[in-house]
Amino acid sequence: MTALASTAGASASGSVAERAPAHRRSPERIAAALTLVALVVASLFALNSLGISLPSMLESWSNAERFFTRVGTIRFPEPLELVQLTALTLGIVVTGTLFAAICSVPIAYLAASNTTPGPGWRAAARFITVFTRALPDVVLAMVFVLLFSLGSLPGILAIGIHSIGMISKLFADAIEQIDEGPRRAIRAAGGSKLQEFTSGILPQVLPSWVATVLHRNDINLRGSVVLGYVGVAGLGLEMSHAFKSLNYSLGLGIAIVMFALCVLMELISSAVRRAMLHGGRASGGPLAATTAEAAVRRPWTGARVRTTVWGWVTAALLIGAIAVCNIQWGDLVTVWAKIPPVAAQFWPPSFGAYDWTRMSGAMLETIAIALAAAVLTLLASIVIGSLAARNVAPNRGTRAGARFLLVGIRGVPEVILAIVLIVITGLGAQAGTLALAFGGIGLAGKLIADSLEEVKGGPERAITATGASRFQRYAAATLPQGAPAIIGHSFYLLDTNIRAATILGIVGGGGIGYYLLNAGQGSNYGVVTAIVLMILVTVLAVEGLAMWMRRVFR
Amino acid sequence: MPSPLIEVRDLDKRFDRTLALHGVEATIDRGEIVVLLGLSGSGKSTLLRHLDGLETPTSGSVRVLGEEVPRLRGRRLRALRGRVGFVFQQFELVPSLTVLENVLTGSLARLRGPRLGLWSYPKRLKLAALGHLDRVGLLDRAYQRADTLSGGQQQRVAIARALMQEPEILLADEPVASLDPESSEQVMALIREIAMDAGLTVVCSLHQVDLALAWGDRIVGLRGGRLVLDTPTEGLGKAEVMEIYGRVATATAELEAIETELADASAEARPDRAEPLAEGAGR
Ligand SMILES: Nc1ncnc2c1ncn2[C@@H]1O[C@H](COP(=O)(O)OP(=O)(O)OP(=O)(O)O)[C@@H](O)[C@H]1O
Ligand SMILES: [Mg+2]
Repeated sequence: MTALASTAGASASGSVAERAPAHRRSPERIAAALTLVALVVASLFALNSLGISLPSMLESWSNAERFFTRVGTIRFPEPLELVQLTALTLGIVVTGTLFAAICSVPIAYLAASNTTPGPGWRAAARFITVFTRALPDVVLAMVFVLLFSLGSLPGILAIGIHSIGMISKLFADAIEQIDEGPRRAIRAAGGSKLQEFTSGILPQVLPSWVATVLHRNDINLRGSVVLGYVGVAGLGLEMSHAFKSLNYSLGLGIAIVMFALCVLMELISSAVRRAMLHGGRASGGPLAATTAEAAVRRPWTGARVRTTVWGWVTAALLIGAIAVCNIQWGDLVTVWAKIPPVAAQFWPPSFGAYDWTRMSGAMLETIAIALAAAVLTLLASIVIGSLAARNVAPNRGTRAGARFLLVGIRGVPEVILAIVLIVITGLGAQAGTLALAFGGIGLAGKLIADSLEEVKGGPERAITATGASRFQRYAAATLPQGAPAIIGHSFYLLDTNIRAATILGIVGGGGIGYYLLNAGQGSNYGVVTAIVLMILVTVLAVEGLAMWMRRVFR
Repeated sequence: MPSPLIEVRDLDKRFDRTLALHGVEATIDRGEIVVLLGLSGSGKSTLLRHLDGLETPTSGSVRVLGEEVPRLRGRRLRALRGRVGFVFQQFELVPSLTVLENVLTGSLARLRGPRLGLWSYPKRLKLAALGHLDRVGLLDRAYQRADTLSGGQQQRVAIARALMQEPEILLADEPVASLDPESSEQVMALIREIAMDAGLTVVCSLHQVDLALAWGDRIVGLRGGRLVLDTPTEGLGKAEVMEIYGRVATATAELEAIETELADASAEARPDRAEPLAEGAGR
């Protein structure tokens, strides 16, 4: 030990420092780091400008107390009506998600770098992906309500088309991550492109695809509330009616039902995902048959029975979901005639009675809400997400507790939270920000926890072997490896927050959404187009920024 | 007589169904340079990990630097680990950190609290780390990302990280198994040189008999978790070593069969092994 220390010391410490090369960073990295810092500063300003502070929250708390004494008891719709509304809401959401999933398969195939037939196809598919994601489903619903007037189709199509963006992107990511070996083997054996896909790619991506669809379905259920505000049938519509007629006790009752539904769906989908992960490995044991003839019939092992039963149950549920929607298939034919006149109403874009400063101010407020909420969410979810990671949590109990907390938060639809906060405290932008910040923790915390669990274990072990403490290991090995993913998640959060902040405006959470809803309800469709364009530009800018960041901090 | 630095008594380690170590006994004194020799799956890594408290024995005793390792917990376990350097086959550097910061992580056991970023380490340690990098011939790479180095260079960084601990014992688990012959030779020579300079005690597991004979002072051989050989290398020939291996197997054919089987089994076992290790290491 002493000898070693002296070797280090003896090599004239000054000269080592002199001979060491200068610490150089690439200009691009510096620019990216500065951008990050700028974003953080902007977020802090946003927090300040929205007036989010402890005193104001405490003050609104007393508002809340007054509110509850006024509301009295919470009421629910009649049982039969409640069941019908619930079934319709679930049906619309599930059918819309299913529609998106089916459309996403070919788009993902064209968009994935390893399956695309050519760069032109790829660009086109990526464009659809980005564009459908950037178009808020509320706007789509507004348009479809005009086209179809009544029924479930506006909701299904709005949810479906908007979801294509996220689902096809994640589908394509999954395709890009496959092991190319099996596919190459099928090609070498003379398989067609389609066979390559069905036997070489599909089996590898299916678990991740199903997980993606389930995840999107949860998001869609939460988002379905807002669609009610623009006239899509279901619980959301009833709730918006109740609040508009100042029937708060019924409105809150429906909100509670919606919340319970979301938590339930989240629990079901996470159970399905877990079952898929573990069930997939069941091999079924050795075959009893001794001849090929006898072995032709696959024995009905427990695993096979389970798979079959669940397969049929799923199919039945999906058919049920479609049936409940009572889709007027004829509308899909007659609608084409209505498109040109409706489209004409949306063009040209204009600000109507508003001026540019007013609209850009509203857009800026939306961005401020998104930023402020993102920074609050990140602070909370880095802590909770780290505690929820197996390799960081000090013990099993902490991890389980943190994971449970995240699931619970994810169950609360931020829109409901915002509506309730707004109705109760009347805070507008502040309520929107808080709702968004809280709602984001569920997803961001989970993503962060998962990324931290995915880091390479080797460096962590090496740091442990040096005698470092758990916390030191976290800072030296876990966090640096997880950092690029966390930066990626932050931008994803910002990205979803800008969309969500728009939507929150519709229910009264401040920002551009308010003008969007007003324009839609006043039939000023040119204004709707102008606002949508502003939103598109913002969302695409954030997306471009995110891509750049991910590339620089890979 | 001073007590030995490492003393293993009747060590058993069982993983579910496999008995990875069985009745292992070994005593290693200060300054010895010992090679652990054995086929794939013979238990070399498992034994080394016990010496650093990264694995808990099923039964038996492991004394290192006067401490009963399995009894140590928390701060005292970390203090012991700080006195023992460990070099991994896969280097296990944090890929996104600079070379210098990777070396600095070797000093964490002596620091309080988490560190992230070069600025969070005191200047004195940075100078020491640069000194160790100089020692392994990589001073000019100090500010490159660790994953931009070649395998041999990464392993030298890992050695510098171990030196940063100012260890009394250096454990190395097949440090050259993922390197080409030339880098292997460099790395092995470096370890030996450093050990001689600093009077380090070294336990290094290897696959290759030739290398073990040329490099170590003493060979400890494992087979199927049992100690089958413990002898100084001086005057020992390859044939003799192989013969000792042969004597414990009933027939050469069986030996070969076991060899391939073990190689396959351990290649398969590798991916699933990562998890339990991380858990074990976490305490
Ligand atoms: N965490 C673990 N869980 C289950 N079995 C394990 C675990 N670690 C090691 N083993 C088993 O213990 C035996 C010894 O493994 P060990 O890694 O010590 O061998 P080794 O001599 O280092 O092999 P190699 O030369 O391939 O590195 C093997 O049969 C291995 O499968
Ligand atoms: Mg090994």
